[in-house]
Amino acid sequence: MAVGAFATVLAGCSAGSSGSEVPGMDGETVEMGTWIGGEADQAQWSAYVDAGEAADPEVSVSFSGPPIGDFYTKLPTVLRGSNAPCIVTLQNGQVGPYVSGLEPLEQYAEEAGVDFGDYNSAMIEQLSVDGQVYAIPYDAAPAVVYYNKEMFEAAGVPEPSIDWTTEDFLAAARATTRDGVWGFALGQGITPVTSLMSANGENYVSEDGVADLDDPNLVSRFQWYVDLATEEGVAKPLEASGGSFPDIDAFSTGQAAMSMNGLWDLPNEQEKLGEDVVGVATVPSDDGGSMGYVGGTGFAMTKSCGDKEAAFAAIKAITSAEAMQSVARSRATVVARPDSFDAWAETIGSQQTADVVRQLTENSFTTPTPSELSQLNTLITQYETNAFSGESSAQEVLQQVASALNQ
Amino acid sequence: MTASGLQDSGVTSPTPVAPGPRARGRRPFGTTWVGWLFVLPGLLGLLVFIVVPMVASLVLGFSESTLLGGTRMTGLENFERLFADQQFITSIVVTTVFVVVYTPLNIAVALAVALWLRTRLAGSGWLRVVFLIPALSPMVANAAVFRLILQQDGAVNGLLATVGIAPVPWLSDGDWALVTVILVSVWQSFGYNMIIIGAGLDAVSPDVLAASRIDGAGPFRRLVSINLPLISPALFFTTVLTVIGAWQTFAQSYVITGGGPGNSTTTIMLYLYRTAFTYDQLGYASTIATILFLIIAAFTLVQVWGQKKWVHYD
Repeated sequence: MAVGAFATVLAGCSAGSSGSEVPGMDGETVEMGTWIGGEADQAQWSAYVDAGEAADPEVSVSFSGPPIGDFYTKLPTVLRGSNAPCIVTLQNGQVGPYVSGLEPLEQYAEEAGVDFGDYNSAMIEQLSVDGQVYAIPYDAAPAVVYYNKEMFEAAGVPEPSIDWTTEDFLAAARATTRDGVWGFALGQGITPVTSLMSANGENYVSEDGVADLDDPNLVSRFQWYVDLATEEGVAKPLEASGGSFPDIDAFSTGQAAMSMNGLWDLPNEQEKLGEDVVGVATVPSDDGGSMGYVGGTGFAMTKSCGDKEAAFAAIKAITSAEAMQSVARSRATVVARPDSFDAWAETIGSQQTADVVRQLTENSFTTPTPSELSQLNTLITQYETNAFSGESSAQEVLQQVASALNQ
Repeated sequence: MTASGLQDSGVTSPTPVAPGPRARGRRPFGTTWVGWLFVLPGLLGLLVFIVVPMVASLVLGFSESTLLGGTRMTGLENFERLFADQQFITSIVVTTVFVVVYTPLNIAVALAVALWLRTRLAGSGWLRVVFLIPALSPMVANAAVFRLILQQDGAVNGLLATVGIAPVPWLSDGDWALVTVILVSVWQSFGYNMIIIGAGLDAVSPDVLAASRIDGAGPFRRLVSINLPLISPALFFTTVLTVIGAWQTFAQSYVITGGGPGNSTTTIMLYLYRTAFTYDQLGYASTIATILFLIIAAFTLVQVWGQKKWVHYD
């Protein structure tokens, strides 16, 4: 593995920066473009690449890239260049905008004996466009509710059961809203509402990626979310802010007893609050049978890659059962292969967390991604403040967003 | 041939004639090319980094273009769409309000502080540095701090509560959010103008001020009739740059409010940025850039034209 040797690849450097003659390759080494925001990202990608290289000794991968904040902005320029890396990483729902620079993987998978059925179906769905798979997932982390065990105990609230309901959640939020602490920390954008809808098996996006912002379930779930602040008084109302994570900030600093986010945030919360303090619960549903809104990242192959066989061999190795089990043990990552789940469950050490995640990944709800997700998320973030200030209802906010989207 | 004609020709003149500029210019490889050589790096930079991108942006403005999907010329479609785009129109209104409030406020604060620092104030040199610090610190960091202290339950509202003032919805009400962005912007950037205006005040002749005192002029009269006219070039310079910067304001809205609530703090630059890099509509974003360029050019030209009436260079 050669780490950091191509740090300029995703920084918009011109073709040939690596001196490679085959586009996207450095000799026999496959170049991978990803996001690296610090040591944690570096360690994560190293773990994946090391595991892939161990699984197939003929594979060699180097990786580089900017922090995730710049990654998607620079990616189109990189993909248009003649020497884009052979592999790029993409989060679920982010494939659509870049599909013209990516190679469909079906044919390569068939030739190499890779079965997409071995991976989490919701992730495969969300890494596909028009029925074609463009990336193979490496993790499948469901959205969960984090709760502060100490605050629950202090408020005399029982810890959430695996089949807790929306009413149970509300009761816990009411009870833990005390002494300057909010019961729940609200997150920005459409994702929290989408998680709530998925938990209840609801969807507002058509198969061709069109978001129906008049969908009655979307309207009612969004209003319920807003009411947590405006009616129930169990959450701090969202205010205008750019590029921040008020939910993560509030929960990890002990200002809120619960928050909702992807499982990727677990190590961060455990580090801030302590492993014994952070509990993991399902996103509540009306009937207690919560379905998982699964998110994660996959490996895609670029269209300009000069050695696609080598690139796919690298993807195959990194996403193999052997590599994933290795990573599941070393990094406590919820890997995207169900056959590797037990390796993760043994590592995480908490039977309760393992049960929650198993429930959510085995019952993951497959929902199409809106084709204009970035725009939708930006506009919801901007306009939802009006609902939290009482100026507009959730339905009016969605209408304002729909109007802006149509322009 | 007349005598004067002979003299004009220079052929029979007994007086030696020093070679003029024209004579020097006729030399092969004379001094002219040296001059061009000196300005060539600058010209190349101007061409590559300013002229070419501007022309490219102008052309892209007449196209439908995405970062990955190529470019298709669409004539005036983007301009037609622009004038029916409520988000763009709102961004024009927001930016206009920003320019109209921010510019005079910035200049007024900078002038007031510069005048105050010229009084017999102990440690005025240090204070000048202190007032300049916001301008030297990164806008993004400043904005993040302001976002924290201006929250509904933040430090500012906590302070107001101690004197019985109800919490102000700095970041949850559209009008207040724009006020917040303007105030933070003034705090951030008046230091530059304070230094330039201060330099202008330092250049005002003490003799003129002494004479005006002898003539009985009070502080206000000295300010209006002596200081302001004499620093008018500095005021003109700061006003032009401040107006240009105000039309291009971006970071404050992007970090403090994200353009919200609603579109209440979405400036033209923020809308342009999102159109290009979040919504991947490069052609349409270039059309917005062209309009913004025309607005700034028009305002600057009007200011340059108007300076004849109030700027004194003597």
